Amino acid sequence: MKSDVLNQLQKTAIFKNVSDDILAEVAIKASTRKLAKDEVLIRKGEKGDSLFLIHDGWVKIVTVDSKGDELIINKCGPGETIGEMALLDGETRSATVIALTESEVLELKQDVFEEILKQRSDVPLAIIRSYSERLRFSTTYIEKAIDWSQKTAEGDYSFVEQIQPLVEGAGSNDDKAAQLLSAFFAMVRRVKEREDGLKQQLEKLTFEIDQARRKQEFDEITSTEFYANLKEQARALRQKRAQG
Amino acid sequence: MNKGKIVSIHSFRGGTGKSNTTANLAAQVAMAGKRVGVVDTDIQSPGIHVLFGLDETKMGKTMNDFLHGKATIREIGFSIGEHSSGGEGRAKLAGKNLWLFPSSIRGREISQILKEGIDFNLLNEGLQKTITEFDLDYLFIDTHPGLNEETLLSIATSDILIIILRPDNQDLQGTSVTVDIARSLDVPNLLLMVNKALPKYDFVELKREIEDKFNAPVTGILPLSFDLADNASNDLFSLRFPDHDWSKALRGVAKAVLAVE
Repeated sequence: MKSDVLNQLQKTAIFKNVSDDILAEVAIKASTRKLAKDEVLIRKGEKGDSLFLIHDGWVKIVTVDSKGDELIINKCGPGETIGEMALLDGETRSATVIALTESEVLELKQDVFEEILKQRSDVPLAIIRSYSERLRFSTTYIEKAIDWSQKTAEGDYSFVEQIQPLVEGAGSNDDKAAQLLSAFFAMVRRVKEREDGLKQQLEKLTFEIDQARRKQEFDEITSTEFYANLKEQARALRQKRAQG
Repeated sequence: MNKGKIVSIHSFRGGTGKSNTTANLAAQVAMAGKRVGVVDTDIQSPGIHVLFGLDETKMGKTMNDFLHGKATIREIGFSIGEHSSGGEGRAKLAGKNLWLFPSSIRGREISQILKEGIDFNLLNEGLQKTITEFDLDYLFIDTHPGLNEETLLSIATSDILIIILRPDNQDLQGTSVTVDIARSLDVPNLLLMVNKALPKYDFVELKREIEDKFNAPVTGILPLSFDLADNASNDLFSLRFPDHDWSKALRGVAKAVLAVE
């Protein structure tokens, strides 16, 4: 089983650049926990001091909405990691995690992890490198999102068709930047659809001109002596202007 | 010699936003670097001078005094570029070549004009002199709504006539007569502009239908705007809010005026 753990650790973002021999050591120090269905693994607001790797079964990540109802943010299954940031920042948990099925998770405690950091000076550097890569990736896409937001505001949706495949090919599933972009593109598509729908709902204004009345009013104005004089003078003026 | 053009702005009925449009158009053309004059003859409405921030009490002699030989045109032209204070939009006109030529604003003088009348040649000579004296590229005339004799004179002397209409049956009916009159008086350039169009209408379709009915170009469809109504007569809207849809459409009309050869 420890080789499975090693595999999982290798896939975890913060360990991306950490060498396998270290990860093997980490794997050994991880402890196994079995969860019954509906058992709470993490409670929102508690101090976070460990990372969990799901080995078997499914858990749900929940929060409570403004009405006090449970709101499921995400579901995680075998091979996925929960709470990895807690190893670095020890902040309180931002959501509650409850087992959906009978599950088995591996727990890596912050103090165990910190012990390893102290022993091996190359590990912190490797972790910094991993985070730096993620930050760079996120920043790039945030910049693009700003550009696309401006385009969307101006009603230019052409980028959706051009860039979509690139976005879908970038980043892994657990990458928040990729998730944001995916949601962003879904949003733009919906906005465009709604706008196209509205355009079709635009009303057509129809009007009719009463031609008899038009002629009558024209005749009334043009039948005066004043108008006949004016027309003559205007014609002379235009001829004069044309000649310069 | 390439003389300045006379541009009359007309609408069949009041309330089309004619004075506001005239002031903004003149301002946009002046912003484009042209030398521009504006003659305000629509005395019944709030008056174009308000939009340019000109106090009635500061107005001395008027266009009518000039036309009747009681004043020189230099005494009447009021430089907006030198007095462009009191509004964020107006302030942008500082240093631009834009003059306002106020018409009569007092009741006594209005009746005097009606009694004496203005001869076509007298009006035309007066306007040409105005253009020459101020070396204008464009002289805008804000006319009375409807088709009274004074308005017919303005139309007859125009190089460009812009008819403003709202998209409703009454305005379209009235505009049809004005279009016929303009053609009868050989106005060389007839431009239409739709104002106060409800955004629920399909503007592309509207433009096509009106152009089709009148066989004249619709140079802009300007939306009905509460923002514009809110601004009232306080400032030149298109200069103050250049990114507003109304302002963008108005600049389209200004461009059409500038494009006339």
